[in-house]
Amino acid sequence: MRRRQATPAVLADGRALGAAMLRRLFIGQCLVLALHLAFMPAWLAGLAALVAGYRALQLRRRLPRAGVVLRLAGVAALTAGLWLQYGTLGRMEAMIGLLLGVYLLKLLETHTRRDARVVVLIGLVATTVAFLHDQGIPVALGALLAVAWLLHSLVCLAGASDARLAWRESAWLLGLSAPLMVLLFLAFPRFGPLWNLPQAERAATGLSDEIAPGDIAELSRSDRRAFRARFLGDAPAPAERYWRVYTLSDFDGERWRRATAARLGLGRGALAAEGRRSPWPPSGEPRFEAELLLEPDSRPWRPSLGAPLASDERLRWLADGTVEGLSPLASRSLLRLSSSGQAPGWPDPLGARWHTRLPEEGNPRSRALAERLWRETGGAPRAYLEALMARFGEAPFRYTLTPPRLTSRDRVDEFLFESRAGYCTHYASAMAVLARAAGLPARIVAGFLGGERHPDGHFTVRDYDAHAWVEVWLDGGWQRLDPTAAIAPERIEQGAGAIEDGGEAFLADSGFSPLRMREIGWVNRLRLGWERMEYRWQREVIGYRDQARTALMARLVERLHAFWETLLGALPGRGPLGWLAGLAIAAGLLAGLGGGLALAWRARREGRDEALRIRRLQAWLARRGLPPREGESPAAHLRRLAEAAGPAGPALRDCAHQLERLRYAPLAAAERRERRRVLGRRVAEVRRRLPRHRAGG
Amino acid sequence: MAIAPGTPLPQRRLFLLPTRFGLGWAVLVLLLLLFGINYQNSLAFALAFWLFAVAVVALLRTWRNLLGLRATLRLPAETFAGGEARLGVTLEGGRPRHVVEVHAPGASASVSLPEGRGEAFLSLPAPRRGEPPLPLLRLESAWPLGLVRAVAWLEADERLLVYPRPRPDELPEHRLAGAGLEATDFAGLRRAEPGDSPARLAWKQWSRTGVLAAKAFSVPPRQQLWLDYDACRGDPETRLSTLCARVLAHHQAGDRYGLRLPGLTLPQGEGAAQRREALAALARFPGHPAEGPGAAS
Repeated sequence: MRRRQATPAVLADGRALGAAMLRRLFIGQCLVLALHLAFMPAWLAGLAALVAGYRALQLRRRLPRAGVVLRLAGVAALTAGLWLQYGTLGRMEAMIGLLLGVYLLKLLETHTRRDARVVVLIGLVATTVAFLHDQGIPVALGALLAVAWLLHSLVCLAGASDARLAWRESAWLLGLSAPLMVLLFLAFPRFGPLWNLPQAERAATGLSDEIAPGDIAELSRSDRRAFRARFLGDAPAPAERYWRVYTLSDFDGERWRRATAARLGLGRGALAAEGRRSPWPPSGEPRFEAELLLEPDSRPWRPSLGAPLASDERLRWLADGTVEGLSPLASRSLLRLSSSGQAPGWPDPLGARWHTRLPEEGNPRSRALAERLWRETGGAPRAYLEALMARFGEAPFRYTLTPPRLTSRDRVDEFLFESRAGYCTHYASAMAVLARAAGLPARIVAGFLGGERHPDGHFTVRDYDAHAWVEVWLDGGWQRLDPTAAIAPERIEQGAGAIEDGGEAFLADSGFSPLRMREIGWVNRLRLGWERMEYRWQREVIGYRDQARTALMARLVERLHAFWETLLGALPGRGPLGWLAGLAIAAGLLAGLGGGLALAWRARREGRDEALRIRRLQAWLARRGLPPREGESPAAHLRRLAEAAGPAGPALRDCAHQLERLRYAPLAAAERRERRRVLGRRVAEVRRRLPRHRAGG
Repeated sequence: MAIAPGTPLPQRRLFLLPTRFGLGWAVLVLLLLLFGINYQNSLAFALAFWLFAVAVVALLRTWRNLLGLRATLRLPAETFAGGEARLGVTLEGGRPRHVVEVHAPGASASVSLPEGRGEAFLSLPAPRRGEPPLPLLRLESAWPLGLVRAVAWLEADERLLVYPRPRPDELPEHRLAGAGLEATDFAGLRRAEPGDSPARLAWKQWSRTGVLAAKAFSVPPRQQLWLDYDACRGDPETRLSTLCARVLAHHQAGDRYGLRLPGLTLPQGEGAAQRREALAALARFPGHPAEGPGAAS
């Protein structure tokens, strides 16, 4: 705080809160609320201002305290507002709103120190609840600020006389406790949820599980992050970054849909199996091992490069060579997935007939074209497909993100023979229809292509990287065919941002996006630096779960073990003799350490207790045949000996003098210390100078 | 369990007790931990651990706030029954300490020692005449967060001295007769000294010369009188109250007086010492076993 707080936090009676303390609580509320506001209705801020305004007015004009009626009315208004906002109070957002509202309204009835402490405790709970929305770096920093402020309020409540003192104390508390916090964070075992709690709902954004050529290319308009990936081992070349997510094989003449067991009326286990490895016949060696950092989504899709093979957690492996999580993700999480890098090599259980199915009628010109090409290529599937690809590569076909809308029932005909402009969905759909018309099993794969490679090696895949391509069953395996590669190779090599035609649609919905400024060097470096930091934060701090913890502990044990091994290696010789020598050395070291500690402790005690030091000196003298007489005080004993002690005489006398000064003179602490030091030196002098061979006294 | 005044507070005599707020804090940490486990939320884990660690550090800092503190007592100058005994507790701690509370039955005070030294004043209720022992004093501190309370007890051997309550309606009956003597035997002026009765200060000379002088008398003009227990009426405590009021009145008037109590005779005298001795004799007069100053509160 800039200004030193002159008014005390608590009034003279020790109970009622002053305006300064209420202001402090209110600022704390604002900081906590700021963490939530991006995700919560904005009228909560109005509520905070209203309550604070009432309290300020009440304090200034000495109005009566808020009565039961007003407080109940506040709670009722809050509940009604949340009901209007969400339609129910059972949703997670409504419950968070309720917590925040109660936190704000509590200020109305905050009059004593105890009330204020309750407000701070609720504030800490509300801060934690903010982590349900987001756990990024900005939220973490905001939460740190809020917690520091709340601690500061608590120190003020404990009676700090001014704000600077309270800040210093809070800084000590936070700073000294941080190492323990880190230690606990790293070492505390992580286990699964103990019971199920309501989850915040996530909008279903990103990749859609059905496509129709002619719809707007929505995804290219958004730069939302879909997922991030890091490869353990080789990273794929740009032309190999085909992330498979869904296969769409159910075509009704207009739209492509997924063929799920539920839609086809099959049993749950017919097209999927749960486990950690793919139950389907292996299709090639695992080529890529990726660590995916997935964004929260309401649907459990998981991307894989080619056919997925194995993972570190239980997943649902689908027959079409895609994979799903067992539940949607409420927060970002890590997943390790190995995959083959190529289309699956096993036939789909739905069979070849399902994958060649076309509606009875429709798209007549396309069918005619397929028939003609099939005849021209002599019924060789590979040549037929090559002819199709070559056809797409020619003018007047062009690739654009803003194609004319297709409106007729025969959309494929309209695209192939009239508009001849479109993006991946149009080309993939036309390709699949033409393949099926020739009797070749084909399906569309929806997923992502590409991703931005960061300098530290991880990839960010965004919504505008969404892509669709075709898989055709050929020579006993599914083959990937991407007609977009024929028409717009730069889309494959450089990503969606490289498309010139219709480029105005690219990121159209993203408003101000740093991705638009990729051309400006320093902006791009800044963006990449931030994304790299954010990625590491998400991966290493937020993603610190059980596996990471186990790995860390294992590494720690390994290090300790290695250290122990080097220790053993340093021993002279092995075998029983070496062990014996090692044991002896260890015992010697231990004994030395113990002895040193004991000596240090004794010196410390003697340094503080002059009586003890003198008693030890007297005992030492007694061992030399100079014991004190019956009833003789220590000082008198030393003085008596001094008469006949020769060179040790002055030192003995001085010892007695110092002892008496320390015992009886009113000394300041500094002087006392000084005299103790002098006494220590004198005692050592006595021991040095006392003549050795003296007969008993 | 208690320490004596003047000795630094050792760790064996320092106790830590959780407060209700501290228990609430424990529940909060547990709540946040469960939140972290059930939502698999790393930042919730981190905050739960941090609040736990803050509590541990606060515990140590509370303990350190009292450790090594040395308390010495300053007894009140004079206390009359029915009033308050203002006991000074001087605290010395070498380093700055914050918000140290001193509690006694019926009284408490709080003091901060930013320079490592400070004094708290306890207003102990003193309902009865007598020589009660000092109550057990409690040193407490909940600094910095109020999660735990460090407590130590302080026990002193000294006793308070509580004089009887002066009877307000008691006027010294010899006052009128004595008034005439003073004016006649005026002998001159002497330099005024602290403790001179205001009635004998030479105000006129002061206004003229600026030197404060007192009137001196060659013959003791004061009444020479005896305050006698047996001459008073009422039960023993009432008599003592009457005598107390008279001692105060005669001292104020500058009289020379003696005190006769059963079993004790204080020879005639004057001045602050005589007043103190007379009042102490009244306070210590046997017969009414006085209880501790806080017992009746």
